[in-house]
Amino acid sequence: MGLIGKLFYMKNKGKFNRLKKWEGELNKCIRCGYCYELCPLFKTNNWESDTPRGKLLLVYGMITGELKPTQEIVDKIFQCFYCKNCSDNCSAGVPVTDILTDARADLIEQGFEVEGTIVKIDEDLCSVCGVCVPLCKYDALSIEPDGTGKEKIVVNKVECRGCGLCVSACPSGAITQKEGCEITIPEIHEKVKELIKEDGKKLIVFACNWSLFPGMQLSASPILVKTDYGIIVSMCSGRVAPELILSAFEEGAWGVMVAGCPPEECDHNGNYKTRRRLVLLKNVMKELNINPKRIKLEWFSTGESAKLKSSINEYLKKVEKMGPINKIEVSKKLEARR
Amino acid sequence: MKKIEIGSLQKIVGENNVSDKVADLYVYGADASVHQALPSVVVRPKTIDHVQKIMRYANKNKIPVVPRGAGSGTSGHTVPIDGGIILDMKCMNKILEISPQDMLVRVEPGVVDDDLNRALKPLGLFYPPAPASSRIATIGGEIAANASGVRSVKYGATRDYVYGMKVVMANGDLVKLGSNTRVHSSGYQLERLIVGSEGTLGVVVEATMGIRPLPKFRCLAVANFDKLEDAGNAISEIISSGCEPSMLELMDKIGIVAVNKAMDLGLKEVGAIILFEADGNVKEAVDFEIEKMKRICESHNGKDIKKSYDLAERTKLFSGRKKLFASLSRYKEGIICTDLADDMGVPNSKIAEAAAKIHEIAKKNNVIMAVYGHCGSGVIHTKIMLDPKKKSQWKDAANVIEELYDYIDSVGGVTSAEHGIGLSKAPPWKKARADMIPVMRKVKKALDPNNILNPHKIMDAPDDWVGATNLRYKVG
Repeated sequence: MGLIGKLFYMKNKGKFNRLKKWEGELNKCIRCGYCYELCPLFKTNNWESDTPRGKLLLVYGMITGELKPTQEIVDKIFQCFYCKNCSDNCSAGVPVTDILTDARADLIEQGFEVEGTIVKIDEDLCSVCGVCVPLCKYDALSIEPDGTGKEKIVVNKVECRGCGLCVSACPSGAITQKEGCEITIPEIHEKVKELIKEDGKKLIVFACNWSLFPGMQLSASPILVKTDYGIIVSMCSGRVAPELILSAFEEGAWGVMVAGCPPEECDHNGNYKTRRRLVLLKNVMKELNINPKRIKLEWFSTGESAKLKSSINEYLKKVEKMGPINKIEVSKKLEARR
Repeated sequence: MKKIEIGSLQKIVGENNVSDKVADLYVYGADASVHQALPSVVVRPKTIDHVQKIMRYANKNKIPVVPRGAGSGTSGHTVPIDGGIILDMKCMNKILEISPQDMLVRVEPGVVDDDLNRALKPLGLFYPPAPASSRIATIGGEIAANASGVRSVKYGATRDYVYGMKVVMANGDLVKLGSNTRVHSSGYQLERLIVGSEGTLGVVVEATMGIRPLPKFRCLAVANFDKLEDAGNAISEIISSGCEPSMLELMDKIGIVAVNKAMDLGLKEVGAIILFEADGNVKEAVDFEIEKMKRICESHNGKDIKKSYDLAERTKLFSGRKKLFASLSRYKEGIICTDLADDMGVPNSKIAEAAAKIHEIAKKNNVIMAVYGHCGSGVIHTKIMLDPKKKSQWKDAANVIEELYDYIDSVGGVTSAEHGIGLSKAPPWKKARADMIPVMRKVKKALDPNNILNPHKIMDAPDDWVGATNLRYKVG
């Protein structure tokens, strides 16, 4: 930080220039908690401080001066996927995610190092190919000079929504997210393994958090009814990387279903990427001696939990007819290319 | 209270299930009430054994323990007024058994009410108490508060469904109370003592609850009234004339305006709305009940009566009532909705009179109060709407509470019908039930001699609720 930067930092330390205006709105929150059973982050971590109402309380504490911002508080505030289930369902009409965005900007201005659900770029692996930049609907990624005459990808930490589209699109695997929220590729892989090996699931359903909230609710419920399918909430369908699907087959899945928002309804335009990716993947599958019909892509709008359920059951029947995959073997065509 | 050794607790539940981080302490120090106080540590047990070990440790070192479910309590039940351990029970959230043959379920205390009903629905069953907060409320919390909801008029409260439970006592002992049957006459009904005890007598670690078959038909109707008094009288007559509603709800004009503002529902802004529902397996019987109630409404000048059997339509008709509590914050700029004086119970014949009295007391003391609730079972919900920044408004609220509960007591009502006493309702409750206090203290002393389980609540709560803890609003 240069001298001017330092002066600017000192001037803004402890100030909440953007957040101050929300004090009245924060008073409107009656803490009914209706927001938090809808929060995917809470469903994963189960700490009240990860809930939208918990975060609002932390923000309130900071702007009223009762709570001194610390790194651990900042870490909580920056964990959010912006699915907006909380804002959309708040009957007191509190604009939760707008408040959290302003909190991000103020806390960054105060000089905090932030991670949360924001993507980070490993500059050693990044070739600055720029594939990720146009992918981001929120313009959170840009190519900037790195100060040594070269270029680098820069993440706007206020705007990044943590959807993870860039993570699955990066050809070098240079973009990652913090572990602990069950959204990174290794974490989802572990979940796939657990569902297949421990719970004996035949069908893995990767479900979008946005359109499939009721489905997610269903999957997270401690129901006793045993099913042959397991639902993994993968946030946007666009972040279901091909290797995740292939690894599901490798672990022994009989079929994989990817469920996303219908065209035009995706917040991140991730569904188009998935569609394209799955067409390519189906071609690869033929070369691996796996019936391409073992992958299914389907669109669901918000609230279509009944359709989700019947689609899964219908597809499960087809998958059961196909039975388990006997052997994954590389075709002669691919072998020759090797 | 000895210093809490985090390491000892971590040994019991694992490192990741103990937190003394400021972010966690601050958040777990508040619920849906106006109160806030910091705990010393938050612990998340996952097994009965964890709870027993934690209680043994706490009892030995005289550390307060506050069990907590969803934190949706409205009177500060889980606000740790003496610090100590918050026992977050939400990780014990397994449905252990559903037995349609025995018409019961066995659940861990952290199971969310709606989750239980989602699991029961495919079997044609349901768990009826369902408070409005069923989306987040846990069974353990509902037992602690003896929660009830919109269908209490027909199906009763949580206590009517508690068959048995496993409870960890203050000293860490595990006891099994009650039975697996709908009735029993085998010794003290101690499971009933735990219901409504607000975490002061023991920690519920497993509950055996009764369930009911889902009725085949449900019909919901809505009636508009120009005068609140007429609506109140209609409710009283529906109940006293032997109708069997499965829901009988009131919403006054303040409530209607608030939900219109918050949710843009376009409800007609009349003096009051009544929602009445009947359910059953024979459509003609449901029709009969609805018609009977409709006629009573009409005789009290009820109009624009709409009814529907369709689930989507019923959900739409009920949506305003479902989210009324939160919507009240939107009634007027600068005014917010506080969870105070929120759930008094009055005898059926006093509904209209009590509703009018509430508005009168509110006006006299410069606050706004909506009147709504499950009036069919005598539950009147109100909220005190005020400007939280003005110190004088908190004095106004204190005056309202004193006057209002004096009135409620004078007509034979109760301080709390379904949310519990906690901190903010303790002063009026203590005034009204002075005779009960010594007995309750003896029970408490017998079961929790070191006073570690949710201390200083209900009968032992401070006499000044405003100063009992920090208010979670910035005043001044």
